[in-house]
Formats: sequence, structure tokens, C-alpha cells
Amino acid sequence: MSRARSGDLGAYEVLVARYTVPAHRAAVLLGAGDDADDVVQEALVKAYRQLSRYRGESGFRPWLLAIVANETRNLHRSRRRRDGLVLRAAAVTEPAPDEPGPADTVLARERRERLIGNLRSLAQRDQDVLVCRYLLDLSEQETAAALGVPKGTVKSRTARALARLREHLRAEEVPDA
Amino acid sequence: MPEPHDDLIAELRELDPFLAVPEAADQRATVRSRLSVPVRPQRRWRLWLASALAAVTVAVIAVEPARATVVDAVAQVLRVAGIEVRRQASPPRESPSPLPSTGGVTLEQARQRAPFTVKLPATLGPPERVELADPDDNGVPRVVSAVYRGGTVRFDQFAGSAGVFFKQAPDAEWVDLGPGMSIWLPKQHTLTYVDRAGLERTATARLATPTLIWERDAVTYRLEGFTSLEPAKATALSLS
Repeated sequence: MSRARSGDLGAYEVLVARYTVPAHRAAVLLGAGDDADDVVQEALVKAYRQLSRYRGESGFRPWLLAIVANETRNLHRSRRRRDGLVLRAAAVTEPAPDEPGPADTVLARERRERLIGNLRSLAQRDQDVLVCRYLLDLSEQETAAALGVPKGTVKSRTARALARLREHLRAEEVPDA
Repeated sequence: MPEPHDDLIAELRELDPFLAVPEAADQRATVRSRLSVPVRPQRRWRLWLASALAAVTVAVIAVEPARATVVDAVAQVLRVAGIEVRRQASPPRESPSPLPSTGGVTLEQARQRAPFTVKLPATLGPPERVELADPDDNGVPRVVSAVYRGGTVRFDQFAGSAGVFFKQAPDAEWVDLGPGMSIWLPKQHTLTYVDRAGLERTATARLATPTLIWERDAVTYRLEGFTSLEPAKATALSLS
């Protein structure tokens, strides 16, 4: 019995090694801040205990990320604040000096910074849905599981968040025009 | 039908690599020690009750043993550069034809002709035979093979950017090999060579003995002939 259990743990450790980094990234992008490592550890322990519920339809990664997102929400609830509102903790990396097309790179960088700034200014639940769908590349179904809302809500919230994001970006462009 | 925000969605997707997050802590030891502590009986009973209720509510859902699901999850991405492992069984030919080969060469000749740096596991000592497989018009080989221990151990290496082999092994598993992941095939499995044109040379399909596959610095390595994982890993880590 204990040998079987340690065999399971050995196999699971391979999964832990493989998915710790994406899980941590998801926790940070969803606003876990300094608690991201704790969130990931909690999620990995829960995932193992819930393995019998994993049915392997869409792969282990989205399944685990849904648990990470859930744990991140529990964290927000318990401490009644959100750290580094989604992307605040994430800094835009500097382009390498030898990257081709310096003008292009500067423009692209400015655009990315604007995009992140505007993404941050969206309401929290709008940010969450965009992070899940497009930065973490989860499907509508997986996003629904991760955020604990119906699939229809994910659909409508995504559309609304994208429209708002575009509105904000346009509003910024007007003074330059 | 194009969605109204396709361009914005594409921009958001492209954003991901530019977002730096702090480094993640290694969770392996902590998670293992937490999972090694048995769940308290009371909680386990509650868990059991909860799952029993869930099972009744959701009618019949086949609950697989945890072990099987772990292996399934592990096996979904069995791909090391240049080698694809399909989790299926398929009988190979009775007498497979060998890879197109230039025959035996010296280690020096192999080092001169190979399009990558040839490395060998130090623990195995000098190879008994070195072969170059499938040379192009200029004599540059795709695969360099070294044979040890009277032919029972075979060590292949090739540039990982080229799909060179595919394997059929239902029991393939991921293992952790120091700096990276690798695949361990603990049993006999089918090995087929994929040629320069991307065609599977089914005539080369043969039964390979247990094999460890890994990649380092864009070169893919295949070590065949160790029956257990630990000595295979030790050999792999002695590469120089």
C-alpha cells in the first residue's frame, strides 16, 4: 500500500516539475503577488487529492490552472485585497539591444505598455476573463471552471471586456491624432 | 466569420512572452512531503461521503484509479526534439533493414563529419564501433551511433531540429534528468526511422530494448540497452 502510494508520488512529482512554472505564472497574472508560491503549492496538493476527478479530456495543464485560479480567488477572499492587480506585478521586459528594427521595437513596446496599462484599468473580473482566455490560453469552458461562473457569463464578459479595452485604447489615441 | 476583436485578441496573445514574473519556487520536495502525510481519518470519511454523494448526483462516471490518470497526464506530451513517441503498440517486421549507413568509421572521422558536436557517455568507456547513418551528398551524416558491450548498448545522437525517429510504446513515461525532462521507455518498443524527406521508413522498424531519450543543446540523444532507469540516467549524465 505504502509502496503503491510512493509510486504514485513519484509519477506525480514529474507532473509537479513540469507544471510548477506555468501554474506560478497563472497565479501571478491573476494577482496572487507574493503569495503565488503558496497558491501553487496548495493547488498542487489539492490537484493530487482530486486526481480521481481528472478525466483527461483537455489535458492536465488547463485542469491544474483552473485549480490555481480557484486558489487565487480564495486568497483574495481571505485577505480582502488583491495584490498587484493582475499585471501590476508583471513588468514589461526590456527588448534586447541587438533585436532587429529598433524603431519597430520601440513602437511595439509602447503599444504593449499601453495595452497592459489599459488592461490594468479594467474592472477586476474583466481582467480575469481576458487573462484566462488569452494570456493563459484557456477555453471558454476552462475559463468558466477557473472563475467559477457559467460559460455564458464567460462569453458575454469576454466580449464586454474586449469592447472596453478597445474603447480605452481609442480614447488614448485621440490626443495624438 | 471574423470576430470584431480578432486583432485585439491577437495582440493580447502576443503579450504573454513580454510579461516577466518572478521565478517560481521548486515545489517538488514540499508537495511530496505534504502528500506523504496521511489525510486525517475524519476528513477522509467526509471526503468519501462527499464523493459518494457526488457520484449519486452525477449518475455514472467511471472513476479511474489515480495511478492511471497520472500516467495518462504524463504521457500526453511525449515528445523530445526529433523523436515522437506514440503510446500504442505495433508489431515490427521480422527482419528489419538497417538504416542507410556508411558503415564503421573512427571516432575522429565521426567528429569531423557530424553537423553537431559528438559527445559520448564517459562511464561506458571507448565505443566498440562508431557508425554514421544516412549521409547527404557531401557525406554529412544525420545520425552518429556508438555501440558498446558487444552490441547490447547503443547510443544514437542527432540534431534535434530534424524528426528522425518515432517510437511506439504504450508504457512510455516522463522522467526528470537533471537540467531537463527526458522520456524513459522501460520495455521493448517499435522504433522506426524517419528519413530526410519526412517519410517513415517502415522497413527499418525494429524492436528496440529499453531506451532513455533526452535533449541537450539542440542535440537529441537515445541510449538503448539498459534494463533499468537508474544506470541509464547515470550513463546519460556522464555525457562529455
